[in-house]
Amino acid sequence: MKGTIGILRLFFPALVLSLIAMFFAWGTGLTRAQSQEQLDTTSEEVGRRSDQEFPVPLTPLPKTITPCRACHGPEKDFPVNFKRREDLLVHKDIKLNHGGARVWCLDCHDPENRDYLLPLSDGKLIPFNKTYLLCGKCHGTKYRDWRNGVHGRRTGHWNGVKSYYLCINCHDPHSPRFKAIEPMPPPRKPWAPKETRAAH
Amino acid sequence: MRENKFTETHFRREKRQDSVSSRDAGKSKGDKFLPDRRTFLAGAASLLGTIAVNSCTWQEFFQNNFRRMSKKEIEHTVQRLQAEYKKKYGKEFVVGSEAPLDATLFGYGLDIQRCIGCRRCVYGCVEENNLSRDPQIQYIRVLRFKDGNMDLEQSTIYYDPEEVPEKGYYYMPVQCQHCANAPCTKVCPVQATWTEPDGIVVVDYNWCIGCRYCMAACPYMGRWFNFTDPTIPKDQVNPNTHYLGNRPRMRNVVEKCTFCIQRVRNGVYPKCVEVCPVGARKFGNLLDPNSEISIIIRTKRVFRLKEELNTQPKFYYFFAT
Amino acid sequence: MPRSGFIVETGRRLITGEPIYYFWMTLLAVLAIIGIASYVKQLQVGLIATGMQNYVSWGLYIGNFTFLVGVAAAAVLLIIPAYVYDFGPIKEIVIVGEALAVSALLMCLMFVTADLGRPDRFWHLIPGLGILSLPRSLLAWDIVVLNGYLLLNLAIPGYLLWKAYHDRPVNMRFILPFILLSIPWAVSIHTVTAFIYNGLAARPFWNASILAPRFLASAFCSGPALVILLYQLVRNYTKFHVKDEALFKIAEMIAIAMAINLFLLGAEFFKELYSDTHHLAPLQYLYKGLHGKGMFVPWIWTALAFNVTAFVIFLIPATRKNFATLNLGCVLIIVGIWIEKGMGLIIPGFIPAPLGEVWEYVPTTVEILVSMGIWSIGLLILTVILKIILPIETGEFRKEGPGQGQVHAGLGP
Repeated sequence: MKGTIGILRLFFPALVLSLIAMFFAWGTGLTRAQSQEQLDTTSEEVGRRSDQEFPVPLTPLPKTITPCRACHGPEKDFPVNFKRREDLLVHKDIKLNHGGARVWCLDCHDPENRDYLLPLSDGKLIPFNKTYLLCGKCHGTKYRDWRNGVHGRRTGHWNGVKSYYLCINCHDPHSPRFKAIEPMPPPRKPWAPKETRAAH
Repeated sequence: MRENKFTETHFRREKRQDSVSSRDAGKSKGDKFLPDRRTFLAGAASLLGTIAVNSCTWQEFFQNNFRRMSKKEIEHTVQRLQAEYKKKYGKEFVVGSEAPLDATLFGYGLDIQRCIGCRRCVYGCVEENNLSRDPQIQYIRVLRFKDGNMDLEQSTIYYDPEEVPEKGYYYMPVQCQHCANAPCTKVCPVQATWTEPDGIVVVDYNWCIGCRYCMAACPYMGRWFNFTDPTIPKDQVNPNTHYLGNRPRMRNVVEKCTFCIQRVRNGVYPKCVEVCPVGARKFGNLLDPNSEISIIIRTKRVFRLKEELNTQPKFYYFFAT
Repeated sequence: MPRSGFIVETGRRLITGEPIYYFWMTLLAVLAIIGIASYVKQLQVGLIATGMQNYVSWGLYIGNFTFLVGVAAAAVLLIIPAYVYDFGPIKEIVIVGEALAVSALLMCLMFVTADLGRPDRFWHLIPGLGILSLPRSLLAWDIVVLNGYLLLNLAIPGYLLWKAYHDRPVNMRFILPFILLSIPWAVSIHTVTAFIYNGLAARPFWNASILAPRFLASAFCSGPALVILLYQLVRNYTKFHVKDEALFKIAEMIAIAMAINLFLLGAEFFKELYSDTHHLAPLQYLYKGLHGKGMFVPWIWTALAFNVTAFVIFLIPATRKNFATLNLGCVLIIVGIWIEKGMGLIIPGFIPAPLGEVWEYVPTTVEILVSMGIWSIGLLILTVILKIILPIETGEFRKEGPGQGQVHAGLGP
């Protein structure tokens, strides 16, 4: 009797512990399976990894001030001034209107290497021809839509290689909100009796 | 504003006009068309002749319905049409007869979060599809609603502000919805309009008898009638056409948006999709799960117009954000 | 030879008559020629010569067509009381109704042709040669039933009259099935016409179950009213006898039909006004005006006043049996139903347009002249038919010479 109870004393905690362990294993296994499923459904969208290539057109950088290291290079030895300020010595034509008080130049441009934008979490600097990686950090939903072709203009072949435009091909990164444009003319009104035309 | 070639237009801007140019203001419409003495006298005798004029050539008179034509007949017809158009417009025309692509069902997405009501799609379509400038036909009509409702009776297509988008309003373009359960194809007495296997609802312009029953049946104002000979400026004619699509039409027949059949059957986006400066228009193959439109339907909240009429449109409106 | 005798005699009869006959035929011929000339102009320019546009794509032509299909159906439906009530006086005179039906049908076909954009492509409608889209297209059905009805209405009286002309007895066993067939066929032509509009989900004004019953009820008003007037004219100018009781009985039927028509109108009013949805808009346009547009409002109220007045006239026996008021009532009802069912049904179906716009319609001079021309041609045909068949009926025009009295070339005593 005593021996049996002893075995039971050992058995029950072991049972409970193994149940708990199984539960966790099973639970996380399910979660992993779910996330795998989600991965599978979203992996059909065009790539999630940061080294995915998109056939984008040339980056529309102004020729006059590139490459940036010509002024911001190590030879020039400018100290990096992290203080937010409005008037810059150069780049006076840029009116920053992006994110209000939350965003400033060095929130996007890499302070050490101005030929690049801020790095990703793996340390790789973002080149200007992959601006979507940077924009996608804050505008993740747009980035995901853009990858799928849902955000942004579509041209070319619907059943062939998709054309992609860089974010900055349409959005001025310093003042990204689209300006209002002049609409094309309204349609002509149809012929109608005078009374109707007067009332329209 | 940031200059880029996508927001500027590369097509002519029309003069803003309010009046209909083919009639005089103030005059009653029919006065211009009252028979004068010469017509009166020649009327009875020339009745048959007028009918002959309407039919142009005997080949056109006896032309078969496109769906019943053999390959050879289609070839002959296409050759004849190409010659006719070249004679009329002075350009080398291509009248294609591309068959539907396999495993393709076209769907269209319109992001009303993005549309700013600029009407570049309207005029892009006019140029691409050889729409009549006078009398003016436009397949796409951009409705402007006040924020807060989607009441069609309170909407307008004649807004003409300095700039768009206007505060307090939103925009929703409407064109032929290429319904899967189309009321228009149901009612045509001669089957001059039908739904192709790739989902496009087309019209055989040479078979249409002009009864306009399909226009009465369409709930979306998708179909338009040529009340007289359409006019296209010769230098703006698009010579890359399809028999069922944008080839120049004749008077007294019905026409409509064909999803730019001349483009999409060659794998290219419709014109309206390409010219939209804000990327509000999406197009693709509903049977392809990786196409933009399939992803939109799967991941965005979509709706279709007049769902209660059970027309099953293939035109999905959605909100991107 | 008998054949040429018939033709020669017919020709002779057509060109001889009283002065009023000459005046009438000349007037109709002039109007017809003007109509044809206007139609030629329409062919030359295109349908832009009419007041129709993309928002209101059917107009005066289809309005007239709708009205006349009702007349054609009702004219023959007089057969029903003739047999159901076994009412002798009507039985004798049905053939005139059939003549009216034939000319109304021909007018319908002419109106539809005038409305077609490409009448040169009419052969596309011929099954076999072209494609007649049965069973899905109601227009295709309408073509079939209208032409079938025309054939029936030509064949049956033709047979009866031919027998009468030759003084031979009628084989009722042969002809009776066709006569009985023409009753449901008459109902069907008008029902199919109603279904043309009824089936369009895009037009809520038409997409109401009440449409087909209203069509039949209003057809039963306008058709018999025309018939009453026609019989009086015929009675006046030929030897054809029409008993007064026949006319009063028809007037009674009109009263019942108008009662139903007004009731159905009331039902429509209630449904739209009480539910107060967007579907009220076409009815509001018609009776009140919509967004400042209301060209049709005075017309429809006039029509309603006419219809109600006529209803009262036909209801009260004293006014029904007085020829002055009876004729007034007939004219009122014909005009009232023409406005209400012809234009007042077609135009508001398009207002407001499917995407909300309100554009009105007014017929152009070309349209009006062509319509008048078609009416004239129809009346010409009617006169010609009556000029031939009535003498056969009365016994004057027989192969072997004038017979005795009014032999019922119709459907027997």
